[in-house]
Amino acid sequence: MVQVVRARLRAKSLLALVLAVSGAPARAQTIEDGLMMPRNNLCTGFLYTHDRWEKYWEGSLKRINGNIGTITTETLSWMGNYGVTDRLNVIAMVPYVKTSASQGVLHGMKGFQDITVAAKYHLLETDFTKHGTLRTIVVATAGAPLTDYTPDFMPLSIGSASNSLSGRLTLTFHARKGWFIHGSGGYTWRGKVTLDREAYFTENRLFLSDEVAMPDVFSYTLSAGYLMPRLHVPISFSQQITRGGGDIRRQDMPFVSNRMNFQKVEALAMYYLPNPKNLSVRVAGTYAVNGRNVGQSTTITAGLLYTFHF
Amino acid sequence: MRVRSRIRSPFALVLLTTALAGAACNQDVRQLEDLPPNTPASGDATAGTWRMIVLTGPTQFAVPAPADVSSAAYRAELDSIKAAQAGLTDTQREFIQYWSAGGVQRWNQILRELVARADLPPAPRDNGTYPAPDAENPFADPQFPFSNPPYAARAYSYVSLAQFEALKVAWHYKYLYNRPSPSRVDGGIQALMPITDLPAYPSEDAVLSGVTAELLKLLFPTSVEEITRKAAEQRDAALLSGKATASDIAAGLALGKAVAPVFAARAAADGMRTAGGTPALWQGMANAATARGETPWKSLEDPPRPPMLPAFGHVRAWMMTPTDIVNERPPAPPSTSSSQMQQETAEVKNAVENLTRDQLAIVYKWADGVNTLTPPGHWNDIAAEYVRDAHWSEVRSARAYALLNMALHDAAVGCWDVKFTYFNPRPSQLDPSIRTVTGLPNFPSYTSGHSTFSASAATVLSYLFPSGGSYFEAEKDEAAISRLYGGIHYRADIEVGKDHGKRIGGYTVKFAREDGAD
Repeated sequence: MVQVVRARLRAKSLLALVLAVSGAPARAQTIEDGLMMPRNNLCTGFLYTHDRWEKYWEGSLKRINGNIGTITTETLSWMGNYGVTDRLNVIAMVPYVKTSASQGVLHGMKGFQDITVAAKYHLLETDFTKHGTLRTIVVATAGAPLTDYTPDFMPLSIGSASNSLSGRLTLTFHARKGWFIHGSGGYTWRGKVTLDREAYFTENRLFLSDEVAMPDVFSYTLSAGYLMPRLHVPISFSQQITRGGGDIRRQDMPFVSNRMNFQKVEALAMYYLPNPKNLSVRVAGTYAVNGRNVGQSTTITAGLLYTFHF
Repeated sequence: MRVRSRIRSPFALVLLTTALAGAACNQDVRQLEDLPPNTPASGDATAGTWRMIVLTGPTQFAVPAPADVSSAAYRAELDSIKAAQAGLTDTQREFIQYWSAGGVQRWNQILRELVARADLPPAPRDNGTYPAPDAENPFADPQFPFSNPPYAARAYSYVSLAQFEALKVAWHYKYLYNRPSPSRVDGGIQALMPITDLPAYPSEDAVLSGVTAELLKLLFPTSVEEITRKAAEQRDAALLSGKATASDIAAGLALGKAVAPVFAARAAADGMRTAGGTPALWQGMANAATARGETPWKSLEDPPRPPMLPAFGHVRAWMMTPTDIVNERPPAPPSTSSSQMQQETAEVKNAVENLTRDQLAIVYKWADGVNTLTPPGHWNDIAAEYVRDAHWSEVRSARAYALLNMALHDAAVGCWDVKFTYFNPRPSQLDPSIRTVTGLPNFPSYTSGHSTFSASAATVLSYLFPSGGSYFEAEKDEAAISRLYGGIHYRADIEVGKDHGKRIGGYTVKFAREDGAD
């Protein structure tokens, strides 16, 4: 009896999935979204991100700094998302990052940053009302530096050089007519960072060590949008809250374990080209509306992703 | 509402559990160097005769004879220690443990923290000018002081030397009066930190607390609360540990507080107050360089910042007279229009554009820029473990830091004299395509401060700890070349700076060989 019910449920959910993705099989893109890649499909491609800021928050004081001008960070990421099953996706990302300052004498930095590998699991799908379904996704993510880059040259370091583990819970409500709302929250634990020096001062204390404890990070995203067969258009609000770390002091340099907080708004469009088939284009713009110990970034992302069906 | 599916495999749970395991990630970071309780191998009974530097001699300060150990007053003091030891709190046990490493070591550690805390340059005003830190209004923005390398070198030296001189006075009276420590007098008093045959009156811990706190309050006034609390804890630790009685401590504190004003008076008149110079002085230096046919240094900050302490070369040194400073001044750097300067500029650019990861690590190891204990502090940091492992008495430990920091201060004076005599531009000024991988210091290039500091420090430390000689030399060379790798110094700055620093350190070593301690 149980077996029969299960089989029926499986057939139904499969049907729902087929309906949802008909004409556009390559939806699943990111660790945070509420979309899944079907079994044996691989979505892969490159994303280019251009991030720049002139104003930044020194602690909570918003300012500019003539010794750096505008900081530009360009990132070219390879990403892949493979459907191990319809319910389990494995996502990997490898970014190459290049930084530069428009003024002053400081040298930019570049190199491969951190590899990210995530397992995204479609936990539950619920008929919430007759108007739509509620989907629950959990994601576990691990990150590790790919190269021995230094995190001790903020804001021009290409990353924080810490190992990390994250857990994420995502809820997406899909209305039958294509509208959706989405919420995703994640908690990240970060490993100690090792510097090339034996002493540093942060949080009003001197540390005579080359190791820096990294505070945990909580982040969430709320988004709403429209999901059509070929177009996925969400707008979102996201916030990062670092659970510890010191402020940048007056006229100080930033430090890797600073309390880096921000609130950002984002508009995203993903379009699945009719021809060539299986190719999708992704364009996004993000703006930091508030922050602490971070730059007020404007970020443009453009990507091309291709889906293989095995 | 129907649940259409549920967890089919434990896989997701396994993943979540793995992620949660991250919470247990070891985040323990050692905060300070490990300083176990110190048991000095020798009491240095003759330290009261060691040569003085600023003071005239131990009898410059009167320390009255203590009450006899058989007196009722002294017995009452012993009883109060017993009562206090019977009710020790965990906090009290913690700071007994902390101070048992030795007051000289702990105050040096605290001083390094105070320097790093105050090592931030003033932010520019909206109109493009820079406010100067004001000792009369230390909590304002910018706070006083900006503990840059010359300020820090001077601060380390005043504190270390005042400690050393005050302890020599204390040692004189200790062995004059020979009053034992309370745990030696009364078996009912526990020795909760290493207690030797060193006479307890006046208490060396109280001397240190008094002289150090008084000077630190002047040098780092915004940290006054922490300074006074630490000083009080040090005295409490001496009492509660059975090392000193209330009268040992009172005499020590009075002595420390009597010695401090001698150094405060010297500091008030040593030239530091006018070391920042004036716009007319800065312009005069630039004009003089132009008149010599050289490209004068200019600030590459935006907005341009006044140079760091351009008259610090006129601050009083410890072991060198103003004539010595001039006599030891290296010859002029290669002309800014010479082919040698072109080659050296090209060498900097080539280095910084082709750094290996190891070279970059050397740059960061020795960056010692804003928000750090500074290069003089870095050398104190190097010395700390050698002083710890030597198991010296407080007075001999104080001597080590005093010698080191006098040499570092004299290196700051000598190097700043050179920098503002020649007013030589940085590599990024002569070739704006040179981008640096560390902060560009806002003062002339020739000679390298890191090289001068490091050579003077290595010279003194090699004298103090001969077994570490090759290590100090290697560290000095690494610190020096790190500035070329960083893109902020030419080779001539480094080579000449090292030679200069070694000669400066030699003045201190010459004194040390004759001060009666060897």
